[in-house]
Amino acid sequence: MVKKITAVAAGLALSTALLAGCGGNDNNGNDQAASPAASGASQSQGASAAADNPYKDPMEISVAFWDADAEVAKIAKDPIAQEVLQKFNIKLKPVNTTWDDYAQKIQMWAASDQLPDIFAIDAIGTQYQRKWVDQGVVKALPDLAKYPNLAEYFEAPDIKGLNVDGKYYTVPRRMFPSVDWSALDRIVLYRWDLAQKAGITKEPETWDEFKAMLEAITKADPEGKHIAGLTTTQNKLIGGLFWLYGNPVATSDGSGSDFKWIEEDGKLVPAVFSKKALPALQNMRDMYDKGLIDPDIALAKGSDSYDKFVSGKAAALLSGGGFVNFNGDIYEKRWKTAYPDTDITQSVKVLKPLVGPDGERAHAIFKTYWSESYFSSKVDDKKMDRIMALYDYILSPEGKDLLIYGKEGVDYKVEGGKKVMIETASLNEKYPARAFLRQLVAYETSDSYDMNNPLIANESIRKEAVDYIDWVLKNTKVPDYDIRLTYMSTPTKDKFTVLDQDDLLKVMLSKDPVEQAWNDILKSYKAKGLDKMIEEVNAKAKQEGIQ
Amino acid sequence: MADPTTARAPRRSLGKTILQYKYFYLMVLPILVWYALFSYGPMYGVTLAFKTFNYGKGILGSPWTGLDNFKTLLTDPEFRTAFFNTLIISVMKLIVHFPMPIILAIVLYEFSRNKARRFFQTILTFPHFISWVVLAGIIMNILSKDGIYNQIAMLFGADPSSPLADERAFRPILYITHVWREIGWDSIIYLAALAGINPELFEAAEVDGASRFRRLLNIAWPGIKSTVSVLLILHVGQMLTQGASFEQIFNLYSSPVYSVADTIDTYIYRTSFTVGGDFGYMTAVGVVKSVISLVLLWAANTFAKRMGEQGLY
Repeated sequence: MVKKITAVAAGLALSTALLAGCGGNDNNGNDQAASPAASGASQSQGASAAADNPYKDPMEISVAFWDADAEVAKIAKDPIAQEVLQKFNIKLKPVNTTWDDYAQKIQMWAASDQLPDIFAIDAIGTQYQRKWVDQGVVKALPDLAKYPNLAEYFEAPDIKGLNVDGKYYTVPRRMFPSVDWSALDRIVLYRWDLAQKAGITKEPETWDEFKAMLEAITKADPEGKHIAGLTTTQNKLIGGLFWLYGNPVATSDGSGSDFKWIEEDGKLVPAVFSKKALPALQNMRDMYDKGLIDPDIALAKGSDSYDKFVSGKAAALLSGGGFVNFNGDIYEKRWKTAYPDTDITQSVKVLKPLVGPDGERAHAIFKTYWSESYFSSKVDDKKMDRIMALYDYILSPEGKDLLIYGKEGVDYKVEGGKKVMIETASLNEKYPARAFLRQLVAYETSDSYDMNNPLIANESIRKEAVDYIDWVLKNTKVPDYDIRLTYMSTPTKDKFTVLDQDDLLKVMLSKDPVEQAWNDILKSYKAKGLDKMIEEVNAKAKQEGIQ
Repeated sequence: MADPTTARAPRRSLGKTILQYKYFYLMVLPILVWYALFSYGPMYGVTLAFKTFNYGKGILGSPWTGLDNFKTLLTDPEFRTAFFNTLIISVMKLIVHFPMPIILAIVLYEFSRNKARRFFQTILTFPHFISWVVLAGIIMNILSKDGIYNQIAMLFGADPSSPLADERAFRPILYITHVWREIGWDSIIYLAALAGINPELFEAAEVDGASRFRRLLNIAWPGIKSTVSVLLILHVGQMLTQGASFEQIFNLYSSPVYSVADTIDTYIYRTSFTVGGDFGYMTAVGVVKSVISLVLLWAANTFAKRMGEQGLY
């Protein structure tokens, strides 16, 4: 009898343990909260707890950010990050998201009322972001007068345009000072070493020259690896290249909600559906049919594509992240181990925006920011004040200098108004969490395109980067479009999404003629209310005096 | 005087029965708790199908919208595509896959000696324990430009292609990979049923001069028929969930094959999380799927009973 009871009890205990294991809630992240106190800063905390210190009460703030677990763990090894957090008496609690699941996780947390205090996502213009604002899921920012650097940050036109009835609900992560810089967000890297081996002597400047180069490399296959043509790190980037053939305003960030509008035959239409779409699609299909595009492009994945390109199995790579990723993902992680004795900038080139069929050089056009910080409506005013103070400091000249150049007198010195690095070792290794703190608030990618900025560690790549953006700013022109139409809200438009990358892939891989494949796609958009949306937007634009 | 053989046993109260079999009840308790927590408890969420979700008010507080979500569903072309894809993939998987483990079990039972049987069974069962995420990686490698499929195709002068992004090839790939993953595992139950047949029947038939095929038809098949019928009902009941397996399709598909591969589950996922569709509408889509599954289960059970087999209930 005792044996029976013991067996049953053991069974029950095991089941209960399993149930408990299943029912755990990981929304609060793990316990590896990073605190300056954890690294021996508790004494100075005591000192900072003076009566007049507005930050005397310690504050724990949960943050959902990409790879937050790993990033926050680095704070313990980063004296600068500790100093910043200590200044505001903040302890960060990581809530991990990954590049694959962040949108899903955050939407689930929003629906189940489990959002962390701060969360990072690219949601502007989406249906759910509008609902978050309307239905009180996210907290409005307080009056910014108290935070001068943040207030200045919100003066940029497209950031200012984000207000909803006079209130801001998000801090967008700024990348560039103007949309001209968007060229950096979709770059095509190509293997110039292999092109030369295949007999190409001139760097491509037109679509025909680019195609001829890809054809030469794939046909000659100089290393005998069955080299493919162009591949990509993510297939949602492909519009950023193929629409540039005569329809650059159609480029979008892949979210489905940032499509831009142009006027055609006296009517405003989304650029994706303009008459200029068909030649761009035909050009793309021709490239695919000639074997100039990797047949696996529909299933392309980041790290595989980088490997393919570096190992000489792809002639060109469409990538995001500009020269920062060129330095990090291509050079640092792969190239310098695979080819330690070669200068990467002699072997890999970045394609300049090509001259399109209209004779113009075009590049992808996005917003000046990518992704945003949101704050849960559960955050109280005191905590919100602390968060805003941290954001304000990170955007301040003092905070920026600290997080980019390190400590004055230790890592850099100022000579003739310029910062000159003293530290010869990589600051990324010395202060491993500083980039995370910066990026929590803003990317400010354009800062990296400066010869004095050590963020692009390889100096040859940095030089190329600076020259490239100078060239782009001088030689390309952003076509006319009105961003207000992209942000405009109408009943049909609010539910309408244009995932052009999916459509491009369908046309590229379809067995039907391009025109027929495109018409089928147009038909499905019409069934979802394309014509109605166009009518609504035209009517509202007229009402609001937008031409 | 009442005949003792026909006298009814005195009816005992439920409480007494539970007390008598208390250990069995205790053992079944965790299962009941599991169902209550994870299957019946969350069912209140089904009400969302008749509401439009409001983040601020939650599932219970969101406003009712009657049958609006179901009306939208009828005019949604993407739902129509997903619905028919789900049916086609599920039915085809059932047709292609269901007989395979039966055939394999009979082949292993009839033609292999014990050691060989165990060897083949282990080899064929192994893929069942690998998740679709890993298997999808393997399949993508096999079918990629540098994979074995294209290497062989190129040997014969063909251009490299991407079958996973080809509308004509995608569904057959689903069926084949499903059979590959599940054939070994699904055959175990049939092998057990075959092992349960009295070997004397086979011996007697052999002595009487019955051919191998005759023994198969008149002894082995009747011996496993009831098992086949129960499993068929279960398969039909789970057809829409497991047939059009979310994990398999989600890990293998891409936009060029949405028209042939987007099922109700992948459609719900994509629309909810990529586009940010209304959770109420997506719940309505899920409810439709569950209702169809219920009807299929009932139909299969009724059919099996009419054919003289034992049903599930």
